[in-house]
Amino acid sequence: MISSDPKQVKAICFDRIHLEGQTGLEVARKNGAYKFLPTVLKDFDSDHIVDEVKKSGLRGRGGAGFPTGLKWSFVPRNTGKPTYLLCNADEGEPGTFKDRDIMRFDPHLLIEGMIMAGFALGVKDAYIYIRGEFLHEANVMDAAIDEAYAANLLGENILGTDFSMNLTVHRGAGAYICGEETALIESLEGRPGRPRFKPPFPAVEGFYRCPTVVNNVETLATVPAILEFGGDWHAEIGVPNNTGMKIFSVSGHVNKPGNYEVPMGTSLKVLIEEYCGGLQHGTVPKVIIPGGSSTPWLTAEHYDTPLTYDAMMKAGSMLGSGAIIVMDETADLIALTRRLAHFYAHESCGQCTPCREGTGWLERTMNRVEAGQGCKKDVEVLNDAAEHMAGRTICALADGASAPILSLLKHFPEIVEERLMENAE
Amino acid sequence: MTTLFINDEEVTVSAGTSILEACREHGADVPYFCYHPELSVAANCRMCLVEVEGWNKPAASCCTPVGEGMKVTTHSESLAKDREMMMEYLLINHPLDCPVCDQGGSCKLQDYTVEHGAKHGRYSEVKRAVVDHDLGPFVSTCMTRCIHCTRCVRFADEVAGTGDMGVLNRADHMRIEGIVEDALESELSGNLADVCPVGALLDKPSHDVARPWEMTRHKSTCTQCPQGCDIVIESRGDKVIRIKPDKDGVEPWICDRGRYVHDAFRADQRIVAPAVREKSGLVNVSWDEAIQASVDVLKDKRVGIIFSPDWSVEGLASIRLLHDSVFKDAKVAFDLHRRDMREFAFEEGFSMSSAQIVAADQVVILGSDLRQRLPILMQGLRKRGNEGKPVTRIGAMNYRTNSDLSADALIRPREWVAVIARAMQQLKDLGKTAAGMDAWLEKVEERHEAGKLLADALLADSCALLVGEEIRSHSDASALIHGLDLMMRASGHAEAGADGRNLIPEGMNAQLLSAVFGDIRVSAGDLLDAASDGELDALVLIGSDPMGDGLFSMQAKRAMGKVPLVQIGAIAGQTSEFANVMLPAAAYSEVEGTFINMEGRIRMAEHPLRSLGEERPLWKVMMRLVQAFGEEIPVVNLTELRARIESFLPEVSGVWDDDVTDDECLLVARNRDANSMPNAIEPAMSLDVVSRYSMYREGMWVRASSYLVEAGDIHALDDLLVHPNTLKDAGLSAGECKVRTTSGDYDYHIGVREDVAEGVLFISKRGVAGDLSCEVMASLEGGQ
Ligand SMILES: Cc1cc2nc3c(=O)[nH]c(=O)nc-3n(C[C@H](O)[C@H](O)[C@H](O)COP(=O)(O)O)c2cc1C
Ligand code: SF4
Ligand code: SF4
Ligand code: SF4
Ligand code: FES
Repeated sequence: MISSDPKQVKAICFDRIHLEGQTGLEVARKNGAYKFLPTVLKDFDSDHIVDEVKKSGLRGRGGAGFPTGLKWSFVPRNTGKPTYLLCNADEGEPGTFKDRDIMRFDPHLLIEGMIMAGFALGVKDAYIYIRGEFLHEANVMDAAIDEAYAANLLGENILGTDFSMNLTVHRGAGAYICGEETALIESLEGRPGRPRFKPPFPAVEGFYRCPTVVNNVETLATVPAILEFGGDWHAEIGVPNNTGMKIFSVSGHVNKPGNYEVPMGTSLKVLIEEYCGGLQHGTVPKVIIPGGSSTPWLTAEHYDTPLTYDAMMKAGSMLGSGAIIVMDETADLIALTRRLAHFYAHESCGQCTPCREGTGWLERTMNRVEAGQGCKKDVEVLNDAAEHMAGRTICALADGASAPILSLLKHFPEIVEERLMENAE
Repeated sequence: MTTLFINDEEVTVSAGTSILEACREHGADVPYFCYHPELSVAANCRMCLVEVEGWNKPAASCCTPVGEGMKVTTHSESLAKDREMMMEYLLINHPLDCPVCDQGGSCKLQDYTVEHGAKHGRYSEVKRAVVDHDLGPFVSTCMTRCIHCTRCVRFADEVAGTGDMGVLNRADHMRIEGIVEDALESELSGNLADVCPVGALLDKPSHDVARPWEMTRHKSTCTQCPQGCDIVIESRGDKVIRIKPDKDGVEPWICDRGRYVHDAFRADQRIVAPAVREKSGLVNVSWDEAIQASVDVLKDKRVGIIFSPDWSVEGLASIRLLHDSVFKDAKVAFDLHRRDMREFAFEEGFSMSSAQIVAADQVVILGSDLRQRLPILMQGLRKRGNEGKPVTRIGAMNYRTNSDLSADALIRPREWVAVIARAMQQLKDLGKTAAGMDAWLEKVEERHEAGKLLADALLADSCALLVGEEIRSHSDASALIHGLDLMMRASGHAEAGADGRNLIPEGMNAQLLSAVFGDIRVSAGDLLDAASDGELDALVLIGSDPMGDGLFSMQAKRAMGKVPLVQIGAIAGQTSEFANVMLPAAAYSEVEGTFINMEGRIRMAEHPLRSLGEERPLWKVMMRLVQAFGEEIPVVNLTELRARIESFLPEVSGVWDDDVTDDECLLVARNRDANSMPNAIEPAMSLDVVSRYSMYREGMWVRASSYLVEAGDIHALDDLLVHPNTLKDAGLSAGECKVRTTSGDYDYHIGVREDVAEGVLFISKRGVAGDLSCEVMASLEGGQ
């Protein structure tokens, strides 16, 4: 049970995931799912819902941290075109595994959030774009959706109201780039997943060039609680401008890796030491990648940073999707970087010059550096090639690709230096 | 409008313009690869980065709209480094084989490397090599040089409408792929080589032949179709290497016909010296001897003259001068597609500009394979189609347009009158009428439902009718065209006494031809019949090949050999083996002259190529003949000739003094009062014959071009086509069949296609089944 006292809230999205049988509609309903939905559909109107979400301070949990209420308010009304709601369940960012748990353990929470969001936005057709590898999760979602249709929670005249909405699960084909919202839209339209340049933004011209809202699973799963307990309630959880609970997927050299939902503002150190059972070796981590592999690295110096969008930004990184990768002193950072370079070189969609050519160039250079065949010039190349792709491309994949390289060179020049050919013993 | 600052200079551009376009408009140099003014924005090359004050990262200027008060910087140290890096990214996998690349010297990659690139490359890994594609006779590939700007893909999707270029794979395995069977499907495919900013897609015929800096550029006008595109002929010495669209011209593209016809300029078929037929065959002689031989053949004879409409205005006018001085009673024809010669029938050309047509609320294509006939106009319609604006078509064949038509009806030629009547009835019922409309309508009893499409389109605020060959060559053409004019007036699109429709002419200079030859012209078919029937003593062909082109090849074959023939021209067609005398006249690329396109747009060719042999401009040949016949020479130089033209056609006065602009189109006063009423035609046979114009086959120049002949073979359909039901109705199946016509029975191979209207015998290959073209009706009489 979620507490109506913001100070007492232990979990929002994960509140019911441990309950036995929660994927089935009957049990989920007994546990409180869809309880508040009739009130929303009968007593709330669109403006009210958008206002509550704005008041809640909820920021997108997919990576960019864009205020959700604001995004919804950008959707133009009365365009004569349909408005679409797309749930981004592609969860491809290395290190991130939170959306998966929501979907496989509490699918009705996501469905309920989507019905409420769809109602607020006047949506008739909504889609969940789910990562291709999540076959089990897709099956769970599909089964839950079938039950919801049968119970008149989806489809025509939901719960006897004027509101009708369809919800469809679409499985991706395993491309990381299809998590980028405009690539997701292209893919859902049946084309290769290549991001679109912006503007126009999806809110104005998205799916089939119609107004479209794309939100992350966790974002949408937070909506029912916000509407039930109010925007102000949510705004009191966490810290100002970084409100609510957040799920962190912690992996790497910690004793208890896993998903942890904690109030925003909890410190990195507390999360790792109190929740995750501390580091496997030593007392301070060597590297923390705080928001998924695409975010710049932090070092021991920032071990105490609060887990908020703002503090992470100030520390030189990003909260991203909340995927915390912890590396202790045993880590081979060059191998790590090389592996990530391979990932981005493989996943670049290929349209932008710097990303298409740069990611491959970085990978090939890292291959040599890792093998001890690098030279001084390679360090300069790595730096130049990584630096000039970030912020100069259609989507942020290039920024993500440059982050590990630039972090390695910035924080650990001596490790790289040691591995160069010139310095070989 | 939006006001912004580009490098501290205040400029105002229309709202929504991209920063790159604003920079281009105001002379600020920003490098780019993927941007192309005629294509959608892709924003993938990232070469066009600029800085905007207050933004924390550089912006791609091609996809960033201007904002009020925005402060844009196009050059800075950090941008210079960005551009240097973009070049380095592009070059790591580039083969850097400029010395053997045709693009070298006109290559964006090369130019920007010099301008923005680093002195040295730093890449020392393995390079990418990419498999090439066979895209057919016009475009060759070297895909390792591709920089993935996707211009070609966007061209194929948006302009050609064929979608036969695509992107495969991702990351640095991304590949541009030609998705073709034998060749690119588009009639505009040659533009791909121009669109590609590097040496990945190249012009195949000129591959490995010349470097850009060795070539001289001659601005000219293409006369291969009535569009009259502005072209630049690139030659090395006297040899034409390639033809490209003129960058300053009206249209950004040219078609493959106009582009690749140039090997015909040097083909064996060229007439380069005067010749006279001896027993052994044609023998080259001096000009004097040949002129004398012409006089011997033609003096005091009943003469028929057939000429091509594609000569320059000066050449055409001089034909009239020859006629008036020497052959006052001669019959004259210049059109190989007309049967009905009543007034209006020769009032040709457009009453709207292409831009007006493309912008109209409704466009209706009536009986035309527009993609073949006017490929560039069709591309304009495709563009409007992409924007969701309607294009309707009515006709005998579901011709490929490579764009979606909003409405489409298949009809057979004998139904045209009922189609028009149905449309007229609808207008009349809505109280819309014009003087003479009731009388026209009364003549027709039948109504055909396809007329509803026509009437619905006419009811829009603006409507363009494109009237094609199926109507022009109809035996009741004048009445049909008059009917269309009446409806244009009734629906308020044309003033009383004006027409408002756009009649696609056979060739260039339509406005001049109807003004200058209106009073003396006859149907080419009738003229040829007259020669066969002994009513003429001699024929003069001036650049025309009635055996190879148009509808009357059967009559031409019959007439040849019956009477002596003087052939004057730049190139010899099938008729030439019958010529008694041949006089060489300079080709369109080799003269100073004036050309008028279908819209009435006037163009002057001023930098001709040198002729190959002893050719003279046509007007000089004509004057020489006048002189040889002992008559006074009417004009002795171009200035005098042009003054004479102004007396025929006052509308052109001033053309040669001032700079004419593109907006000034020549509109010739038309036969306002003419009104042709429908004739009741009793259909004597079950099928209507429709003969197709093919851009790869029609015209002597085209048939002399090996490139176009190859393309023609690739794009060919079966010789004769019918709808499957037509065969079924006759109890026949596809294959060898007997075709019965009024002039006899013929055996042909018949193919089936649902695209053909039922009841139509469709001649898709005139070269093979051309003899049937002169027929209006036929029937199928079973296999062998
Ligand atoms: C390369 C790339 C991959 C991304 N992958 C995901 C993803 O897997 N899941 C996700 O929710 N957002 C992903 N995003 C972020 C989305 O583009 C988008 O910002 C997000 O779905 C918006 O939802 P939110 O506002 O609820 O966070 C990705 C972004 C980039 C640039
Ligand atoms: S940055 Fe990379 S992944 Fe993103 S659009 Fe450009 S090439 Fe594709
Ligand atoms: S082939 Fe040429 S036009 Fe096409 S993507 Fe490559 S470089 Fe661009
Ligand atoms: S469209 Fe006509 S005028 Fe233009 S290039 Fe082609 S043939 Fe020549
Ligand atoms: S011209 Fe702007 S990205 Fe290519």
